[in-house]
Amino acid sequence: MTAPAAAVEVASASRWYGNVVAVNDVTFRLDGGVTGLLGPNGAGKSTILHLIAGFLAPSSGTVTVSGSPARGHPELYRQVGLVPEHEAVYPFLTGRQFVQANARLQGMSVEQAAEAAARAIGQVALADAQDRAIGTYSKGMRQRIKVASALVHEPQVLLLDEPFNGMDPRQRLQMMDLLRRMAAEGRVILFSSHILEEVERLAERVLVIVAGRLAASGDFREIRRLMTDRPHTFTIRSSDDRALAAALMDQPMIAGVSLDDGLLTVRTADFGAFSASVAGVARRAGIRLHELLPTDESLESVFSYLVRR
Amino acid sequence: MNGVIAGITLRQLLSRRRTILLLLLGALMILVALALRIGAEGANLPRYASVLLETFGVATLMPLVALLFGTATIGAELEEGTAIYLLAKPIPRWITLITKLVVAAICSILLTCIPVFLAGLLAGGSQNGIVIAFTIASAIGSVIYCAIFVALSLVSSRALIFGLGYILIWEGVLAGLFAGTQTFSVRQHTLAFADALTDAPSAIFSAPLALGTAIVVGTAVVVLATAIAIRRLARIEIAGETA
Repeated sequence: MTAPAAAVEVASASRWYGNVVAVNDVTFRLDGGVTGLLGPNGAGKSTILHLIAGFLAPSSGTVTVSGSPARGHPELYRQVGLVPEHEAVYPFLTGRQFVQANARLQGMSVEQAAEAAARAIGQVALADAQDRAIGTYSKGMRQRIKVASALVHEPQVLLLDEPFNGMDPRQRLQMMDLLRRMAAEGRVILFSSHILEEVERLAERVLVIVAGRLAASGDFREIRRLMTDRPHTFTIRSSDDRALAAALMDQPMIAGVSLDDGLLTVRTADFGAFSASVAGVARRAGIRLHELLPTDESLESVFSYLVRR
Repeated sequence: MNGVIAGITLRQLLSRRRTILLLLLGALMILVALALRIGAEGANLPRYASVLLETFGVATLMPLVALLFGTATIGAELEEGTAIYLLAKPIPRWITLITKLVVAAICSILLTCIPVFLAGLLAGGSQNGIVIAFTIASAIGSVIYCAIFVALSLVSSRALIFGLGYILIWEGVLAGLFAGTQTFSVRQHTLAFADALTDAPSAIFSAPLALGTAIVVGTAVVVLATAIAIRRLARIEIAGETA
């Protein structure tokens, strides 16, 4: 007996444009739940979503949806909803007309489409604005009407490219609730984001993409731990940097100490133990700490650590 | 044909600012016709009318209208990013393409043939069926041009520039020079159709190209261009913004 086909299966997929590799040998499968596609801008997140949506052909490897190649099978769009990052939506249509048109293009009758559109617009909480032209919408409203248009046919797979861009915090929470509910119904939700906190709050599973490669994947807590355990670097200013450097050198969690141009830099493998003990070490040596700064807290440095790992 | 796609495309084409320019161009031709009628009292009016319809109508208005609508119907949507909403649907791509082509052709016919008809009538082309002949012929020419420009917009992202170059250089200069190149000129096809539909003597109007050639080559061009466009749309790639 063969296992049932995964809703989405990406197998050794690569995609390049001329000499530029956008996606490099990526493999994963999605069977349900909310998955976050996390990575810095330009990492290849959109390319992966467009590969799954069938709008790009993999240069090598395969991308399948319900066991069929994602590309060249328009009938698969019955099961797939795509929210592109691109903001453009027909400005002359009202929100209701736009969502209804999407439902009709999915093959629904006029009555079915009206019903489905009303439900989808309710889900994204845009009923008040549904009879206004989309041209008058704010960025967040536009984002939500795009989501409504993508879920109006209740797709099994929902792909969202940076869906929270332009939403205010309240709208963001509502959208996260909606996506969680849809996942609870057994749907596959894959959304991309370059913001760690969004992914942390919503995704059960994370795919970290850096420079086109899948740097890490799995449970969010697992990846969070990897991120926390990575070597941290701090710069310290104190009343006596040289003495502090010597005192810190004796500590077991310190991986390295350097003193260049009067700037004390400390590298530690254990973030927790270091932050708990550094003040005590200084006090015992009779040194006053003036400043303790982490040097590499940007998301990019977290990503690049995951890649090197 | 898909009604929803047709409706959206129609509103999209008509809501563009360029559509107003095309209306103005048509109105200008009608004004010129009026000026001819007033200024050329007693002169050879049918001859004037056919020259006006040939140079302004068939050689200028018809290709420009078809160029703007033909390249906008799909090309502009791809450029602006809205095409993804039509393409991410369980609809065979050939239906999407034919729908868009038909809507572009209908818009082109309306914005070309109505000014041609009115200008012809005003300039005094009602004799020998010149007005009707040019109106019908420019409808056929509009369809051929639209098929070419829709295909062009799927082959190149600079369809407007290339299309303009094609109209000015090929249709405007090269195609008129030799009998051989006339065979592949949509303008000449259109004139051949007009010639076949009027019984005007050749002193008033005649076309160099034979009707049979115009039918065969015109049909072949439409079929070929449409096939290329369907193939391109079926294999189109849409990358994300960051790619």
